[in-house]
Amino acid sequence: MLTFIARRLLITIPMLLVISFLVYLGLEMTPGDAVSYMIDPEAAARMSDEQFAAMREALGLNKSFLERYGIWLVNILQGNFGHSLSGGVAISTIVLDRLPATLELAIFALFFSTLFGCVLGTISALRRGSATDSALTVIGMLGVSIPEFFFGLVAILIFALNLGWLPVGGRLLPGYETFIDRLPHIVLPGLVMSLMMTAGVMRYSRSAMLDSLSREFIRTARSKGLPEWRIHLIHGFRVALTPVVVLIGFRLPTLIGGSVIIEKVFQWPGVGNEFIQAVRGSDYPLVMMIALLSVFAVLMASLIVDVLTALIDPRVRLN
Amino acid sequence: MNKLFGLAIAAAVSMTSSFAYADRANLLSDERVRQAIAYAIDMDTIVETLFEGKAIVADSMIPNGSFKAEGLEPYGYNPDKARALLDEAGWDGSQKLDVVYYYGDQLTADLMVALQAYLGEVGVEMTYRKLEGDVGGQLNALPEEGSDTSAVTWDIAYGARAALALQEYYNGYKSGLSSYAPGDPERDELIARINASADPAVQQDAFKDFERFENTVLSDIALYYQQLFIYESSRMSRNGGEYGNDQFTYDWNIVNWTVEPDADGKEVLYTNTAPSTFFDHPWLNPGIYVFSKIGLDHLLTADGNLTPKGGQLASDYSVSDDGLTVTFTMKDGLTWHDGDDLTAEDVVWSIETAKTVPGINAVFAATFEAIENIAVDGSTITLTMSQLDPNVLLTFSQFAPLPMHLFTDLNPAEFQQHPFWQNPVGSGPYKIAEVQMNDYVRFVPFEAYHGGVANIDEIVAFPSGENDGNVITNAAAGRLDFGFTKSVADVQSLEEMEHMRVIPANIPYTRSLRVNAYPMISE
Repeated sequence: MLTFIARRLLITIPMLLVISFLVYLGLEMTPGDAVSYMIDPEAAARMSDEQFAAMREALGLNKSFLERYGIWLVNILQGNFGHSLSGGVAISTIVLDRLPATLELAIFALFFSTLFGCVLGTISALRRGSATDSALTVIGMLGVSIPEFFFGLVAILIFALNLGWLPVGGRLLPGYETFIDRLPHIVLPGLVMSLMMTAGVMRYSRSAMLDSLSREFIRTARSKGLPEWRIHLIHGFRVALTPVVVLIGFRLPTLIGGSVIIEKVFQWPGVGNEFIQAVRGSDYPLVMMIALLSVFAVLMASLIVDVLTALIDPRVRLN
Repeated sequence: MNKLFGLAIAAAVSMTSSFAYADRANLLSDERVRQAIAYAIDMDTIVETLFEGKAIVADSMIPNGSFKAEGLEPYGYNPDKARALLDEAGWDGSQKLDVVYYYGDQLTADLMVALQAYLGEVGVEMTYRKLEGDVGGQLNALPEEGSDTSAVTWDIAYGARAALALQEYYNGYKSGLSSYAPGDPERDELIARINASADPAVQQDAFKDFERFENTVLSDIALYYQQLFIYESSRMSRNGGEYGNDQFTYDWNIVNWTVEPDADGKEVLYTNTAPSTFFDHPWLNPGIYVFSKIGLDHLLTADGNLTPKGGQLASDYSVSDDGLTVTFTMKDGLTWHDGDDLTAEDVVWSIETAKTVPGINAVFAATFEAIENIAVDGSTITLTMSQLDPNVLLTFSQFAPLPMHLFTDLNPAEFQQHPFWQNPVGSGPYKIAEVQMNDYVRFVPFEAYHGGVANIDEIVAFPSGENDGNVITNAAAGRLDFGFTKSVADVQSLEEMEHMRVIPANIPYTRSLRVNAYPMISE
């Protein structure tokens, strides 16, 4: 297994290089650059070409695409992530500022969606064809179909504005010092995000559980006279977990990338919002950093999924 | 003779190689076509329906008021007249208008649909598209020197002109400066006239003549005057403070504002326009963002209409009769929020630096360009101007000096990227107490403020701003006591909240269609 992990980690290096080049190229091909975003059209009318050139030179935008990519790559390899073009802030500072907010929200959502999804999916499978199963299936379909922003706005309207139980958004207010202070702020965005994710996990775990329960080893377990709870949870659920783990694993990158819509609706100062702003402003050092982190997260998630699948399902072998 | 002929050929060849020639007629260069377009659009209906009455139909670029000429043709909706004018101008429908815009809001998209329908009704076909990327370049590219061929590809651009000084509406038409209005000696003369005097009475006459000229020429087809809407919660009171153009700074009496105390007896006011990654510098937009509004003072102060009315950092000021010498005397004992002295040297450094920073406010830039020499004698600053600048006092009522000692190693091209803008130090009635970038900024009264210590204990600003859905949720949740917007949708929602009041303010902000009258090159 260690050889497998080492090999996979080594493969990530050329993959990151290729992806970074493609992202950089994509940014290069978008119209405009950071300077044209920074200067509003009215002010631009009064600026001379020399002033634009000076700004581009100061930000290193006067160099060719390959030159800029090369400089960026060398800097990254030396641990220098650069500065945001729009505000001059170190990229590491921006990412480290935003990452805790994104991680808080994503871990909250991932935990609750996994918990609810697995439990409800298993119940649904065990009571196949019952009213409970139908109700949970309908809820699952609704969860998958309703857009996040709509769910978020309805939640704000009911729980924040009408009932006044929770804040409308934001993460911090003056005087907040501990996580407990911040807790009320994460409940709404976290639950909305986890409800959307729960639906998927529930649907996956239901069908995986049904599939698992129809296997021969379940019949064998029954013939051995094992109690039903043991058959379901130890034998059935363990195997049913494999596709669920794959699904959850591939959601891990949201830990880094953030959820743009949830962050926007709930004024959550995470990475997702920052990424959108950076793309719109052609702030390539920031875009590249967040994109690379997300890509790295995807690759790592894929590795973790493989390893976990092998650990859970004895039939899977890593090679 | 042969040599002369040869030279002529060579000159022609060299000109051909340096720029492209227009190869198609542009019927928009005929003012009758521009007038027809103006007649074809029913702005009254558009304002009543799309804008829910929250805009004013425009008859010129200059807003209503004492500078507006009497008897201007309002170009009310008259499709028959539009068709007649188009016939007269020989409009055959072969020219399909390419209309561009740069706003991303739904209202603009709806307006485009309406314009397309109105123009279609009189036989003018148009398509519309949103400019992306280098919007400034696509809007403002000037014809090459010596050429009269358009350097932009659009026929009509929908845009806004927000003016700090009224001259801003028309100075851009000067020959060689406009991407869409070809130069005109008569107009150049009128431009010179509106800039020739600082006396409002003299200026008014010049402006009125200009409006009459443009009322026929229609370089811009003025559509509507956008209003600004100031919203406040019932918790707060300005205590007699004036309402005005909140996109800039004026004497609004913020030191005496009050807000109902919270359960702990603390007066906390919530507002928006806090930064998400850095504080915007105040030399482009001097009054939009919270720090510029409450954290920075200016040499002079202005009333709600932005007419300079007295000193702020300056105890005294004067302008010579010929307008070429301007003197400011600074108040004694001024300090920055960090306790350092605020001196005349800071002001001079700020002016000198602003001259080198790209993309500063046009009115500031014009004033600084006209400054020939700056002399400092103790707390007195004397500006010697190379030419009269009609807006010199206006500039110094909006231009905020910054602390020289905190701008080490400044590259003007990277002014906005300087670390100062992560936690700036100012001179206004409120100073920054805490920055949680992208969460909130907390301001507290500046205890050494020359105008007295402000009443409200704390101002908390969140990063949301205009055209942001969070304005409404924050206001509904009681997390927004003060702000301003131009968004009609925001205003409608705010008006429905019992605890909020909305105060409309007429501001110089005109939306228009810029009509490209230059000869064009075929696609």
